[in-house]
Amino acid sequence: MVPHILSFARYLLCEVNVSDMNDLFLLNDQAVAAAVKAAVARIHGDYGAALCSIRFQVKYLNAHTGIVFLRFPKSCYKLLWSALPFITHINSRGQKIPCFLNCLHVGGTIRTCQKFLIRYNTQQLHRMLPKCKNEGEKQQIRQAILGCFIPGGNKEACEDDIECEEDEGE
Amino acid sequence: MTSVREKIGSSGFHRTVLKNGSPYCYMKVCLLDQETRLNAVELKSLIITGLKDLHGEVGAALPFDVLKFDEGSLTAVLRVCSGGLVKLWSSLTLQGYYQSQACAFRVLQVSRFNL
Repeated sequence: MVPHILSFARYLLCEVNVSDMNDLFLLNDQAVAAAVKAAVARIHGDYGAALCSIRFQVKYLNAHTGIVFLRFPKSCYKLLWSALPFITHINSRGQKIPCFLNCLHVGGTIRTCQKFLIRYNTQQLHRMLPKCKNEGEKQQIRQAILGCFIPGGNKEACEDDIECEEDEGE
Repeated sequence: MTSVREKIGSSGFHRTVLKNGSPYCYMKVCLLDQETRLNAVELKSLIITGLKDLHGEVGAALPFDVLKFDEGSLTAVLRVCSGGLVKLWSSLTLQGYYQSQACAFRVLQVSRFNL
């Protein structure tokens, strides 16, 4: 079922890769937004900085897994996307955190990105399963895999409502 | 790129038809600045500075050439690949200063052919 709602944004689902996992807890969305804006301004100059100031937003940041949702205007998301590999560090709370962004998915709505993220995380759990050393860890991961579900995935009726809410938010 | 050349009559003119579009664009620009004297190298560096300000490092890496520069009238012929024409033109338009002196570029002619 494809909802016929015009979306003027593109959501980039990115993963922040750091060498030390504890650094992730220092991140906040302003720091990530500032790093993206600085990279775009360096790579694409004043023109890119202007595009980045229109409808760019960091929608979501998960400090535990390092997942970031970036919203870009649909008309120029490719140009802004091209600057993301040039981010090498994020300045947060007076500290310079060396990191890089890995783009996992590009979606038109937050919901498609969420669906992808749940599927991606399930895959990651499946990859972790053979590496487990003892039975207790295996049991924990099996429980986690069974716990993965897409919220509202079987309730098709309410799907449209959620989609509308997301688009109205822009 | 394929091109078709045919000779027309006895006049000696050639008609050149480019089927896939030409790879380059040529611009004839004039620098409006009475005060300073600059040579071709300084002109190119001025244009690259403008490109870097407006389009960042991607703009500064844009391949373009100063084919001809007349230091007397400050008129230059630039060659740029077709994809970069808009970037080059916009940065020329927004170029306002050379060594903290007001200056401006006037684009006299833009063509696909360097005739």
